[in-house]
Amino acid sequence: MSTQSQTAAKRSSPGALARRPETGALIGFVVVFAFFAALGGPVFMGAPGWSSWLNIAAEVGIIALPVGLLMISGEFDISVGSIVPASSMMTAMLAGHYDLPALAAICGGLAVGLAVGFVNGLLVTRTTIPSLIVTIGVMFAVMGLTLGFAVLIKGSTSVSYVPTPMAKALLGQFINNMFNVAILWWLGFAAVFFCVLHISPIGNWIFAIGGDRESARNAGIPTSRVTIGLFMASGFCAAFVGVVQVMTYQQAQVAGGQSFIFNSIMCVVIGGVLLTGGSGSILGILLGTMTFAVVNQGVFFAALDPNVGSIIVGALLLAAVLSNDTFRTLALSAAAKKT
Amino acid sequence: MKLTKAVAAAAVLAIGATAVGAEGANIFVIGGKPDDPFWSRVKKGAEDAGVVAESQGGSVTWLGPQNYDNLGPDAAELIRQAIDQGADAIVGPNWVPEAMDPAFEAVVAAGIPLVIYNAGGIEAADRLGAMNYVGAVDYKSGYAGGEYLAEAGHTNGACVNTLPGAANIEAFCNGFNDGMTENGGTGSVLQLPATAFGDSTAVAQAVRAHLLQNPDINAMFAIGDQDTNATISGVQQAGKTGSVHVCGMNFNDSILANIQQGTQACAIDQQGYQQGFFAVSILNNHVVYGTTIPTREILTGPGVVDASNVDLVIAGVEAGAR
Repeated sequence: MSTQSQTAAKRSSPGALARRPETGALIGFVVVFAFFAALGGPVFMGAPGWSSWLNIAAEVGIIALPVGLLMISGEFDISVGSIVPASSMMTAMLAGHYDLPALAAICGGLAVGLAVGFVNGLLVTRTTIPSLIVTIGVMFAVMGLTLGFAVLIKGSTSVSYVPTPMAKALLGQFINNMFNVAILWWLGFAAVFFCVLHISPIGNWIFAIGGDRESARNAGIPTSRVTIGLFMASGFCAAFVGVVQVMTYQQAQVAGGQSFIFNSIMCVVIGGVLLTGGSGSILGILLGTMTFAVVNQGVFFAALDPNVGSIIVGALLLAAVLSNDTFRTLALSAAAKKT
Repeated sequence: MKLTKAVAAAAVLAIGATAVGAEGANIFVIGGKPDDPFWSRVKKGAEDAGVVAESQGGSVTWLGPQNYDNLGPDAAELIRQAIDQGADAIVGPNWVPEAMDPAFEAVVAAGIPLVIYNAGGIEAADRLGAMNYVGAVDYKSGYAGGEYLAEAGHTNGACVNTLPGAANIEAFCNGFNDGMTENGGTGSVLQLPATAFGDSTAVAQAVRAHLLQNPDINAMFAIGDQDTNATISGVQQAGKTGSVHVCGMNFNDSILANIQQGTQACAIDQQGYQQGFFAVSILNNHVVYGTTIPTREILTGPGVVDASNVDLVIAGVEAGAR
């Protein structure tokens, strides 16, 4: 699979374009954007509209990137839903309750994500339990620990914290009072993950593991280390979003974050990543995230019933999976014809 | 032979258990998720009242749903669990009457004393045959918010509803809109998909989009701590701080700080701690001593928290009761 998508990238014929994993996502994004632009009018097309859906896209997008990489390698990560509140609680607790410096609190929050990711990775590589089940189990454990420690230490399920101007400016600011600074972080994360997946050799390892883990291991790829690393990356990114939420909303709650589980998976799948692993691209994940965010915010600008948004997201998801299959068949048959 | 001994032993144990149960009251409380900031206060109230029950050999058990995705049926299931576990008395909110009424009727049919609290009002208690209702009346709480904002001159209001279909949230919004219109304003409802519940960013961005599309709105009402904070953020991002005034149900530290700073106009308090505390106390005293409370409808709210009394409330928070 990896060689296919890379040779396709070097050619530019329309046929090759149609076989790239993000083509379906691009079509989906254009259609959805045009639809809501027509209904939403000038406010949706202007800066307020753009910033509105980009703010949504940034948070779910930061999590969708590593979740997408994991999915390309054939694994799921459900635990992100509990890492977001766990890390925001840790950050708010360290800074707001124990009065530690903001930097220490942020590092503490991010460490929660790395630690949970490490546990996920260890359990998935050392046991034969599927990652879906492992991460659901870890999710509930982390949820329980977050609630337990919050009530034990603070006696309450929410901790408020007024961030320092520096921390607020870096992580929780609204540029021009509209664009959440998280959008820039999202683009930064996207650049890093692009290098990992499409430029560095690790990218080929990830595709190979998703294609066939046994063969990948036999070819000398350190499959366990790659998998653990990917889980730590998704833990880190989920924790990062948790920290951003503390800095933005000035409080941490033990609940919340669960919406990121399905939202991140939907972004990734709409972005053309194959559910069974082995195929996908960063560009596709970005497009999938943007499509998802436009639908979610567009309904409010178009004055539609918000439930219509959920219906559209559901339909998009099914369409994405269907078109992925179609494009994959196309790609395989085209490759067969050449020989 | 061994088997009969085992059965006999089990029977003795069972008799022993009922004997202990008869001394104290085993009270089951159905409520929200224990990690919901508001419900953790209700739970604390119930558990504090439970100290008395425990000293008499009884107990208080909290049953809450894992999430709010399927609220009515999940809560009805919890009520039936409480019956099955041999509750001596049950406390429950009537969130979704259509789904939950049959379960409450089963409680009354089983002869178990029932108190409705938090949602439903005295009408639900009368309809279901419950002993009493303890709580704020949602409609009156919403009305207080609408009245407060309209009297301050902010007359075009919108109510943020993140749980469409839940009876109490709709009562809040109806009350808010009536409080607005009866004091010379107009009211509307911003409906969000249920998937937005608990996602501050989704709520904030929806509020902001709504304010940009409807520039005439100058007052908003949100239900719950998290939605209120998200609404404040949405107002800020729409560039409407100072021109759109926000009241919210319930409060926490950051909401009280916002009221002190003036970024939030008011918070409506239904005093959740009191709801848990009094519902459990009424039932415990009834089961153990046969006492009743002749006052029907024990109101715990609404109370308005604004800049004039916020310092007193902060003192109450530090004492752990609010």
